[in-house]
Amino acid sequence: MIPPAPSTPTSHAVFRFRAAPLRHAAILAIGFIVVRVLYRILFHGVDGSGTVLVDLPVVRLPAPFAHVTMLGPITSGGLWNSVESALPIAAVIFAFGAINACIDLSKLFARGARGGPLRGAARTLVIAWATVPALGDAVRQVALARKLRGSRGAAALLVPLLERTVERAVAIAAAMEVRGFGAQRSVDAGRATPIEFRHVVLAYGACADAADADPGAPVEGWTLAVEEFVVPAGSLVLVSGPTGSGKSTMLHALSGLHTHFDDGELHGFARVGGVDRRTVPPRETAGFIGVVLQNPRIGFASETVADEIGFAPTARGVVASIVAARVAEAAARVGVTALLDRDIRALSAGEATLVAIAAALVERPRILLVDEPLADLDREARLRIRTLLDSLAHEHGVCVVVAEHRVGELAAVADARFDLGDGRVVRVAPGAGAAPAGEEDASSHDRGPAATGASTGEARSGGEARLEARGIHVVLGGRVAVDEASLDLCAGEIVALAGPNGAGKSTLLLALALPKAAGAVRVNGIDVARLRRRARRAAVALVPEASDDLLCATSTEEECRRADREAGAPGGTTRARFLAFLGAGDGTSTAARLLASHPRDLSTGERRCLAIAIQLAADASVLLIDEPTRGLDARARSLVAAALRTAAGEGRAVAIATHDHAFASELAERTIEMRDGRLGAGALRTAVRS
Amino acid sequence: MKWSPRVQTPLVWGGHLLAATAFAWPLFAPAVPTEAQGAVPFVALALAPLAAVTLVFVLDGSVRSAKVLALLGTLTAVGAAVRVVGTGVGGIEAVFVLLILAGRAYGARFGFLLGVFVILLSSTLQGGFGPWTPFQMFACGWVGAGAGLLPRLRGPRAKLAEIAMLAGYGVLASYAFGLVMNFWYWPFAVGTGAGISYEPGATLGENLGSFLLYSLITSTASWDTLRAITTVIGLAVAGPAVLAALRRAKLPRDALR
Repeated sequence: MIPPAPSTPTSHAVFRFRAAPLRHAAILAIGFIVVRVLYRILFHGVDGSGTVLVDLPVVRLPAPFAHVTMLGPITSGGLWNSVESALPIAAVIFAFGAINACIDLSKLFARGARGGPLRGAARTLVIAWATVPALGDAVRQVALARKLRGSRGAAALLVPLLERTVERAVAIAAAMEVRGFGAQRSVDAGRATPIEFRHVVLAYGACADAADADPGAPVEGWTLAVEEFVVPAGSLVLVSGPTGSGKSTMLHALSGLHTHFDDGELHGFARVGGVDRRTVPPRETAGFIGVVLQNPRIGFASETVADEIGFAPTARGVVASIVAARVAEAAARVGVTALLDRDIRALSAGEATLVAIAAALVERPRILLVDEPLADLDREARLRIRTLLDSLAHEHGVCVVVAEHRVGELAAVADARFDLGDGRVVRVAPGAGAAPAGEEDASSHDRGPAATGASTGEARSGGEARLEARGIHVVLGGRVAVDEASLDLCAGEIVALAGPNGAGKSTLLLALALPKAAGAVRVNGIDVARLRRRARRAAVALVPEASDDLLCATSTEEECRRADREAGAPGGTTRARFLAFLGAGDGTSTAARLLASHPRDLSTGERRCLAIAIQLAADASVLLIDEPTRGLDARARSLVAAALRTAAGEGRAVAIATHDHAFASELAERTIEMRDGRLGAGALRTAVRS
Repeated sequence: MKWSPRVQTPLVWGGHLLAATAFAWPLFAPAVPTEAQGAVPFVALALAPLAAVTLVFVLDGSVRSAKVLALLGTLTAVGAAVRVVGTGVGGIEAVFVLLILAGRAYGARFGFLLGVFVILLSSTLQGGFGPWTPFQMFACGWVGAGAGLLPRLRGPRAKLAEIAMLAGYGVLASYAFGLVMNFWYWPFAVGTGAGISYEPGATLGENLGSFLLYSLITSTASWDTLRAITTVIGLAVAGPAVLAALRRAKLPRDALR
């Protein structure tokens, strides 16, 4: 894991001095003069007064360049003339350097984005400026995925990178849209019920432009029926349901993104604050609806926390002093005042969610829509957000709607709950079918080893050892990430590596799949470090946490073919494995739909299974998976669990690194705790036997 | 400011025309009285940024859709990063792949603005502003815009034909980029009185001959050819998948046309 960036307060000064641009310009100006002199020597341009330094013969070129003469004598006067005539332009180049050295253009972008005739262009450049540093990380992760897949082409690097870019762009755009960016007018809420949806059907219709449509996109024909969804002021309502059931779509229908941004359809009676949601776009209701989108971090559109929180009033053209007061108020309400000067990229996941909530509250909205606020947060942060949402609804009278599949965490403070499933929205009791707070949260990583001690156990003595790792030691940035780890994995078993963030699980898996560090990794008795690309893939396969980075084709079918080709496997291997994982018989309509889909249009669970199938193309003896259940709901988890059992059942050794204790204890035969780079008990087969 | 199309269209074309004039200044120089000849190059240098500011000013209203703006911003970041990373190996080559594909996927106006912003951001990142920056902006912008103006293909092998067409355009654009960038810079680079110098009094044929020779040794035989090759390879390898990725983020129909 990468430690968070240091939190440096960001300066707003436009004028500053840096010597580098001046040096750069000086080199360019001198280079300009030198090149000019060289051209003139080559083309008879230094033949002037003064002494003749070198007397080269004049060469005349044939037609059509008959008028051109080359070389000729070089005289001191001619040389001086060449230099002198170049000086004015060289001076211009140097002057540009001087301006560059004194003005920080990136700060001008931020100023321009606050208003004025060029605010569109300036905002574009602010987004670009904030995206550049993130690209470095993205490139590293995508390059790693490419290496793990064994691909070499540029496509395997460029396509996932562009997919990430587009994903980020859409997230930023949605976040800007719901905060009033580009609004021509602002609509006020009436005194009506904040949210009133009756007999509403949400759908994704056929695309109007058939030529550009992706065939087989699963959203086609998707509908969600909302019989009655009415939320009064001062209440907190929970929208629950598995991933893919439409929680986000439901929230987007309320915010207006569904109809005005995602090209979705909405039929029926749909009013928010008395405004017809079908006709009024999100940007015009930004004054009374605050929205926190899923994974808010990728949608940040500013450089500093203060600018991000103040985005909505700034976009509305409010004067800077009032914006600053509003920002201070919203930050205080959420408790992020200390973060205001921070660089937006230096926030932890929990801080980012709080900042996003503050940014949604800055216009003092009557309605607050929050999508999955608890994802990837530790217990303390989750508790803080629960308290905040509770107080907003029940003390400040805001109408709060939260989409969250961790029902148990919020049931106690919720007034009502709407559950999504089978294309319908049904009102249920807030706590129905959910474990009490804390217990149900399977992916919590703050439970100690004691909780899982029971499942920490012996290596299965039956299977033969597939992987034997000894003394793996990895140092990252001066810190010991993996400390002398030794591990056995046996044929047919599934092993879970558990432990908190930063314990070194991902690093260990990587060291097993691509051994570079100190220590030895043997698969079936052969040293993996000595294997070439293909042989290595046949020995050990790793599915990285960002498993989508493995995908680079335009259809699942093509993706499978590509995987076969790269692994040197017989045609149809990956396709058959993928379909088997999903229980879709070849030739069925389900299989046809899956294969024709764009890989990124598959559901999260299907995509993870595809990534596993791709990595198994070379029939590796050892399968390693980093966080197999990240972002998955119960149904998708069982899909992945079945795929892992199948993989192990074929005689492979399977190891997963996971926070998800429930998943680990359900699936794994032994769980090894990892802490501060050290492996806990049960890692070695011999230790069990003795 | 939102411009009505009746005002915006002539302003946009006026901006492009102004820029084209700046690029082609050596052609206009003979028409200027002798006493003013010395000022002509500097007027040309001033015209290009003026044209760039005019166009961005006029087009700014078109980038008020959040989706267009965010895509433009993130793709600008990618283009600028590619350009900065590629500085040591000939600079602008790989950027063309992005400009052409984005122009194709999102239209001429998007392609133009992407070209302009990529140059602006990469120059900011590197501190590499100079008199050439506005010219680079236009040349890159036109490469992206041109891809957006290519005809739409139909038929059974439309996807393959599209990539072939874009690759052909890429070769053309690579050489054209080199030629226009050399053209305005040529008199500055060589000065007067040399064998391949621009001669205000000479015939058009002779001046063009001198220019072509200058261009050939400056970039056409080297950088431009390299750029053409990398662009074709890039489009062939990543073109279909990148186009699909870009087109999956659908822009509002009237967002930028």
